[in-house]
Amino acid sequence: MPIGADLVLHEEPDPEQARNDGAALGRVIEKTARRWATPLAIPLMDLRLEKADLLACAGVPASDAEKYHFTSPLHECTIAALCAGQSATLCRGSIARDQALSYIASLPDLVPVGMAIGPFSLGSRLMPDPITAAAMAGSGVAPEDSDEVRLLWQCLRIAEAAVQRSVRSQIAHGARAIMICEPAACTAFLSPRQLKAGSRLFEQLVMEPNLRLKAVLDAAGCDLIFHDCGELIDLMVEAFANRLHPVILSLGGSRKLWEDARLVPSDVVLYGNLPTRSFYSDGAMPVDEVLRRTAELVANMKACGHPHILGSECDVLFVPEAREAILAKVDAMMAVAAQPILS
Amino acid sequence: MAQESALYQAIVNGNDKQARAATEEALAAGVAPMDLIQQSMVPAMDEVGRLFEAQDYFVPELLLAARAMKGSLELIKPLLSASGQKMAIRVVIGTVKGDLHDIGKNIVASMLEGGGFEVIDLGTDVSPQSFVAAVEKRQPQIVCMSALLTVTMPAMKLVIDALKTAGLRTQVKVLIGGAPVTMQYAQEIGADAYCDNAGAAVGLVKSLLAKEAA
Repeated sequence: MPIGADLVLHEEPDPEQARNDGAALGRVIEKTARRWATPLAIPLMDLRLEKADLLACAGVPASDAEKYHFTSPLHECTIAALCAGQSATLCRGSIARDQALSYIASLPDLVPVGMAIGPFSLGSRLMPDPITAAAMAGSGVAPEDSDEVRLLWQCLRIAEAAVQRSVRSQIAHGARAIMICEPAACTAFLSPRQLKAGSRLFEQLVMEPNLRLKAVLDAAGCDLIFHDCGELIDLMVEAFANRLHPVILSLGGSRKLWEDARLVPSDVVLYGNLPTRSFYSDGAMPVDEVLRRTAELVANMKACGHPHILGSECDVLFVPEAREAILAKVDAMMAVAAQPILS
Repeated sequence: MAQESALYQAIVNGNDKQARAATEEALAAGVAPMDLIQQSMVPAMDEVGRLFEAQDYFVPELLLAARAMKGSLELIKPLLSASGQKMAIRVVIGTVKGDLHDIGKNIVASMLEGGGFEVIDLGTDVSPQSFVAAVEKRQPQIVCMSALLTVTMPAMKLVIDALKTAGLRTQVKVLIGGAPVTMQYAQEIGADAYCDNAGAAVGLVKSLLAKEAA
């Protein structure tokens, strides 16, 4: 199954209205699951919601949230207020997301799945240049010696609190699993060179907040689906699979899942990872190539014996000019999955 | 030897404090500002690009090097202006309308700056009209566009169309990049080149300009 709610959303007469209408959004998510014959009701991958909700606490309107960045270190009282979620009001998209979850939870044959951006990825979206700040921290610059590094740690704190609020809200609305998306936890943000030299940055910025998040989910009896479509090194895949121990691990198209299977416990289902970002282009990714890659992936996953759900490397976004091309390739991918494997 | 220069080493190592100190020291010793750029900064960023290509350096190291280079450039630029010197090649760069992703664009901008080009960064969510206005006003030789989303990529074609409509298309070479962008797409929309990583951007721009001159 693809992560395909965005494709189905754009079949609505007014997609933007449906995105912010819980009942309509719930029907879109149900339709998505039924179209691709899966019990997993995966919602829209809208990773802007937690930022909008967090910044609302700081008085930033939702319409300005996406472009907004903190540019200097925050006062402790501001951090405390943002962590506590004082005067928190959910944006329209978050309210719709929660209402849609309640609707899905009322359907006996579908699993209501929530969605949230990961703490590190949200933290990275709160400042203008998170990579340089992380690289400075990874090279040993202490928060007291650099405003940028200090802001990085502050953003991570408030981001973690915001993600936990989002997750608790979704659980309260019936989510039985939550997909946490951490695309920034990758080699573009965290240097393998620094990690090799002994930096604990991956541990501190990514693993520790996500382990605390996992504890929140565990306490509520809610499963973790962990998604990271960034460029990863084995150390990262191993940490996600073994220490976060999600029920499903979803990885980007640059990984060979059948090779990653050796890094992943057998009770963690691998999901993915056809290169759906290229599906818009018949030149870059013709249908024949989709068929070839799907057959290769399915055969190799069967050969390695690791549990696997065939799917996309990330959410499959609607592109107006390429709708037919994208749908044709999603259909091709699913058709291969439906065929018996010839040995 | 460029490699022996303290400025070169500071940039390659991504140490901004050392880079500024080395620049101040060199200027105090009478080294010409343009010589610092050509003999230390450009070779240093070339080396950083090479290490990135070799997967010895990653994006964080690129950015640290760029930060060190920019710190040094801040000291040098006023001196260049005062002496009437300027960078020979000007580049306008931006992330297209509807797209707020700036990491790739920022890295390419830094690498180009480190490569000795004057870079005018229009930021993110840049409309076709803003690209056209920047080309009209700043007269660059190169326009670079970035998009990270399949849904915002079509805006690249809108910029190229707007440049054509304004009669400016033949004045500039257009280079595009971003995660979903391909060479095929560049050809489809009439861009001059496509670059799949920041480290290669400097070389690609130089080769585009060399072809133009030939």
